[in-house]
Amino acid sequence: MNNVFTIQNLNLHYGDFQALKNISLDVEKNKVTALIGPSGCGKSTFLRCLNRMNDLIDDCKIDGEVLYHDNNVYEKNYNVISLRTKVGMVFQKPNPFPMSIFDNIAYGPRCQGVKDKTELTKIVETSLKKAALWEEVKNRLKENAMSLSGGQQQRLCIARAIAMEPEVILMDEPTSALDPIATLKIEQLINDLKENYAIVIVTHSMQQAARISDNTAFFHMGELIEYNTTDIIFTTPANGKTEDYITGRFG
Amino acid sequence: MNKTKKWIQEIKNKLHFNSKKEIVDFLVRLIFMISTIVSGSFIIIIIIFIAREGIKPFVTDNDGLGAVNLFRFLTGRVWLTGTTFQSTLYSVGFIIINTIYVAILSLLISMPIGVLTALFIAKIAPTKLSSIMRTVIELLAAIPSIVYGLFGAGVILPFVYNFAKTLGIQSPGGNSVLATVIVLSLMILPTITALSEVAIRSVGKDIEHGSLALGATKTQTHFKVILTSAKSGIFSAAILGIGRALGEATAVSLVAGNAQNGPSFGIFQTTSTLTSTMLQGLKETIGLDYDIRFSVGIVLMIVILITNTLLNYVKRKVGNVNVK
Amino acid sequence: MSNKRKRFDKLLQTVTYISASIGVLILSLIVVFVIRNGVGLINLDLITNDYHAQFYNGGIDEIVTFSNTPRPNELDSGDIYSEKWGIALRDGLDREGKPIIEVVFIAEDSPLYTMYDKNNLENTEFKIEVENIISSVKFDNKPSALSIYGAEYMINELDAENQFREIVFSSLGGGIRGSLITTLYTIGLTLIIALPIGIFSAIYLNEFAKKNRLTRVIRSMIEMLTGVPSIIFGLMGLAVFVPLTTRYTPATSANLISGSLTLAVILLPIIIRSTEESLKVIPDDFRFASLALGANNSQTTFKVVLPSALPGILTATLLAIGRVIGESAALIFAIGTTIKDDISIFGKSTTLAVHIWSLLTDEPANIELASTISIIILFIVLILNISVKLLSKKYLKRA
Repeated sequence: MNNVFTIQNLNLHYGDFQALKNISLDVEKNKVTALIGPSGCGKSTFLRCLNRMNDLIDDCKIDGEVLYHDNNVYEKNYNVISLRTKVGMVFQKPNPFPMSIFDNIAYGPRCQGVKDKTELTKIVETSLKKAALWEEVKNRLKENAMSLSGGQQQRLCIARAIAMEPEVILMDEPTSALDPIATLKIEQLINDLKENYAIVIVTHSMQQAARISDNTAFFHMGELIEYNTTDIIFTTPANGKTEDYITGRFG
Repeated sequence: MNKTKKWIQEIKNKLHFNSKKEIVDFLVRLIFMISTIVSGSFIIIIIIFIAREGIKPFVTDNDGLGAVNLFRFLTGRVWLTGTTFQSTLYSVGFIIINTIYVAILSLLISMPIGVLTALFIAKIAPTKLSSIMRTVIELLAAIPSIVYGLFGAGVILPFVYNFAKTLGIQSPGGNSVLATVIVLSLMILPTITALSEVAIRSVGKDIEHGSLALGATKTQTHFKVILTSAKSGIFSAAILGIGRALGEATAVSLVAGNAQNGPSFGIFQTTSTLTSTMLQGLKETIGLDYDIRFSVGIVLMIVILITNTLLNYVKRKVGNVNVK
Repeated sequence: MSNKRKRFDKLLQTVTYISASIGVLILSLIVVFVIRNGVGLINLDLITNDYHAQFYNGGIDEIVTFSNTPRPNELDSGDIYSEKWGIALRDGLDREGKPIIEVVFIAEDSPLYTMYDKNNLENTEFKIEVENIISSVKFDNKPSALSIYGAEYMINELDAENQFREIVFSSLGGGIRGSLITTLYTIGLTLIIALPIGIFSAIYLNEFAKKNRLTRVIRSMIEMLTGVPSIIFGLMGLAVFVPLTTRYTPATSANLISGSLTLAVILLPIIIRSTEESLKVIPDDFRFASLALGANNSQTTFKVVLPSALPGILTATLLAIGRVIGESAALIFAIGTTIKDDISIFGKSTTLAVHIWSLLTDEPANIELASTISIIILFIVLILNISVKLLSKKYLKRA
């Protein structure tokens, strides 16, 4: 199966307000899937459904199916904790823990019971290398993570997610709080990461989506308007609204 | 010569008023400024006057009893009231140890309970229960110390007495280290809980979400991430708590037992603190007995000052986490 | 996730739940204890009676007419009535739990109304009243009837005679009127002293002072006061204010004025901080508008800034009152621990809190009365704190 996620007829309500209307799409393995659309169209909300982070919001009702490897993550007694170890998330604003760089990366594995110092050290090194941060911090792993720059902090958060060896990495506008150079570095990183992970990225910037993604989904007012390969979306979109958004007529 | 002339001219300029309104304005501001200076000077007045009375036993003859030896005062193990014994054998050394001992024990008891209660209120309890508990804790923090003293005398003392009896120990009415520690823990518990709760609540949601997104359970998130992020605030709560424990007077003096020698480490021994010593035997306050209270007061202030400085230093070392 | 970790998680959760319950429960236990023990003595008399019992010695001349009143119906079955003397007595307990004999009824034609004051023959207003306590009745030709023998014995002994040498009786005592009045006086005096100084300092620091080193130093000196335990303030009161007041006022010892001065110092940081908070909230636009209209600084302050800061000042006042009522250690030194019934601001007395202290350091400690006074204190503190909360909420809504 080439799909890690299969979403079918997903509807989401925050209280009375319906944020997602009948969404159906597939997320492919080892590809970068970008979610684009104007503010408030539901892309971040949709993203949070994939690792059930919407559970943390009061008064949120969901119906429909979100299948992760043929199992609906919203069925009763589904192991959410386990899901989150396989579906990692990087947030819009970097949120490293107020601990050392080493402890930040080792946090996830430690929570899952890994105690051996050598094993943890190996995990930290591997993750930092994969996140392209190792060279910059290898001599100051014991330093506080808050002393890193914004771009470095975000790469730290990516390394932290990678340390869990997930299958999917969800990214919610990961570069919107960063400067252009840091943004570039992260985009390069995403490009390297897709060899081993499926990436779903919400982005405000169409240019970014065009640059780095393989598939693109265009959301508008809670509906999925069009979903196709990035090439098609950006050159010959089928839907008029998509074309309007792409060409900058709104959003 | 020219400088003074200039200076006088400046003052004259300042005092030059164009109208009655300006005079009034000037006077009003003067009154405000004087009030401020008065407010600020009280701490100095306290230090000076207490020092003046407190030094007397060491440098005067105390009506024939002889000067009290400073070194013995600070390090000795016995406290004898002067007029009956006609002695200068006042030592505060063991009392200092007692005071710190009792304060640390109460902190050790109330910190875990307080922080966990705060965690419960801030993160685990449903919103309605949270606000009720928060209000209850705030109100409990407003209970005056004398009522804690009443509770200590009426409930804790008999409890300790009976408890000791079941262990075969004869306790003088229940007055003991244990009673003192229980009363102090109760007193500082609301403060520690309230302050820790604020600290925990102010930990950013994004950090909490970050931990959950990595597959940690709620409990793991609470203990590994939230409590460690709130470290600084929780530490401040501890500092405030121990400050109160060191300075508490009336409640402690009712349950401590006023031991005349020591130091007392056993939990069923009677004990005395710097504050209870100051309150002791107020009926016979003349001469050396009167002055020595001030000396104890100086010692108390120094102990509190040192503790605060030490703890604030540790806090800065521990709390360098949230620098950015 | 392994089972071991699940169990550890559960353990931590359980410990957290237990701690939270312990904390709140035990602390609430204090309130429960106080209420249970003190509720028994609550009545209006407590608040209006003197603390010290007044003792009287009544003698009587040859009796001319004895009483004729039959036993009134409103008496309880436990009351013992003497038709001859027109008096009903009852066995009761005083505020310390000791057995006493109370006078529950005196007939209008009772010969006891003709008693004279053995200690002051000129006293025309001497009379025995209902609610007085009879300690003993002394006879010429037989042993006295003491209160420990009970009301029935006393009445029987009286009925058997036509004459007695002396009745020793007293008022109930144990009342807290004196301490209540002292507390009110102290609150008043302290506020009169502390509020102006505190508010003016806050205004100066916030509106006028330049942000230089000197200002910061003064501010930290005021802040330092908050870390000082109240007993030290008591020592300061003893060393500074008591000599000051004995020198310049009719006072001869620790008194209410020295106590209020001491309390004022304790309250200063609270008042200053609270007032400054409410001053800070006021936007500068108000001040600029006033100044632009030609008002000078002090006019701006009084007419524009202060009125807007009123809620904060009110909050400060309420908090201050709460602190005054609860303060004990400082006042033990600065006012003394003598319970008095006639209050003068130049003399010693006790506030409610110090009264409790005095009761608890007696032998034996009077837990019941102390609890009753505590109920009063807790109630007032509760009302004050709730008012502060409501006020802040309303004030925040406005701002």
